[in-house]
Amino acid sequence: MKKRNTQKQSLIKLSTIKKLHKWLSLLVFIQLFIWLGTGLFFNLMDHDKARGNQNKKAITFQKIEHKRLVNLELIMSKSSKPVTEIALIQRLGKPYYLLTHEEGLYSHFKSDYSLVDAYRGEKLIIDDGVASKLAQASYKGKGDVSAVVKVKPPITDMLKERNIAWQVNFSDALNTSVYIDASSGRLIGHSNDDKRFVDLFFMLHFMDYPFLGQGSVGGFNNGQITFFALLTLAFCLTGFIWVIELLRKGRYKFS
Amino acid sequence: MSLHRNSRKYHKWLMLFVGMQLLVWSITGAYMVLMDIHYIHGDSLVANKKPTIAFNNVNYSFSELMSDYSKASDIELGLLQNQTVYRFNDGEQKVILSAIDGRQLSPIDEMLAISIAKDNYTNTKAAVINVQLITVNPPRELSSRHLPVWRIDFDDFASPSFYISANSGQLVTKRHSYWRIFDWMFAFHVMDYIDEEADNKLLLIFTVLAFIASIFGLVLTYFRLMPQKKKRNSKVDNDLNKEIADEKA
Repeated sequence: MKKRNTQKQSLIKLSTIKKLHKWLSLLVFIQLFIWLGTGLFFNLMDHDKARGNQNKKAITFQKIEHKRLVNLELIMSKSSKPVTEIALIQRLGKPYYLLTHEEGLYSHFKSDYSLVDAYRGEKLIIDDGVASKLAQASYKGKGDVSAVVKVKPPITDMLKERNIAWQVNFSDALNTSVYIDASSGRLIGHSNDDKRFVDLFFMLHFMDYPFLGQGSVGGFNNGQITFFALLTLAFCLTGFIWVIELLRKGRYKFS
Repeated sequence: MSLHRNSRKYHKWLMLFVGMQLLVWSITGAYMVLMDIHYIHGDSLVANKKPTIAFNNVNYSFSELMSDYSKASDIELGLLQNQTVYRFNDGEQKVILSAIDGRQLSPIDEMLAISIAKDNYTNTKAAVINVQLITVNPPRELSSRHLPVWRIDFDDFASPSFYISANSGQLVTKRHSYWRIFDWMFAFHVMDYIDEEADNKLLLIFTVLAFIASIFGLVLTYFRLMPQKKKRNSKVDNDLNKEIADEKA
């Protein structure tokens, strides 16, 4: 049996590792700096401002006069669609029955609801006027409503939302937008320029670009980030092996 | 000393301290982007079937409920398996009542919890291997606001656990091995091993050092990969070439 060369026995030669590290650095350096820079931003940013809730206030509830509640048969007769759940809720200080026709696993998943006035039995349609009032009830800022727009997903401010919503814009210093679910009247959330600024950094960190692949989805399961993540993994691994090699050869000396 | 030589020295020394964390960031980051987030959340394990409710046997009205329970809020009429029930908050506590006669059905027992978990689980053939009622000290994977809760473990791929609220009878959390790994991956990514918050000092120090070390690395990329027109520092180059030759030997 021939005596084997120990260098060749190791899986990849060290010189190959070093060459790989150098060339990979050229491929990943821009994204690596974006990751480190945006990572630093997430570390230092004001986490309260990042939520976009500076002008949000808790919605106040009124006592329900239960003797005035209309009975279920009347409510059911108002619905042509199948109902899986009925909740007694409040909108603008008045009680409503919220009929669930379709409900996703989470509130931002595809759903379908309708509302019936719990005292009078009339259907409530969330139109621009109602949406505007609902938005104002959750708003404590000093701005006035400047526009009410119906928006379909994808919604830039609320990328995860999969339901049609009313966007109620306020003329304040932060350009606050309030989102109301068009079928249930539920408050989806607030957004403003501070949150939009933070969202920009998330887009960069997640490589969640609107002009690539399926567009921005508010997540990090996309082709481009997978590609760069694997290259960066190889880059860091080769660098790590290099450091171990330098340590092994006693090249870390104070001099 | 030249920029090239200094960069080499600082890159080498800084990476001795932050190189390990860069490797951790790349491993944990790669894991998180490779795993589909909806799978991680366990969404694909849930059979989201919502049958329509039968209202003809609802003899106990919303109005009666509100006069019997003056503190009731968030009242919902829905299903608990095949029964039509009310779920609501009686002060701080979730309560289930039968919609037929207003009888209290919560907290639910072990048999019912298992049955609800099985109903919600996609793989109908999977056997339940462990059941536990958790009232205090929730595990890392469960928020304490869901207590008390029944933990139902299935004998299936990736060891799934379903958590069924004892007071509402609803599936409140679902976990499996890849979620549990993901949770640790995120903790190591943000360097906060307990609360998993990204605004900690340890992360700040490592990010800044990694940034500086990477700038020196970029200088090295420039010198090593760009064609050099003039050999201004021939002595340095000769030294480096000698060192590289030594390494190869």
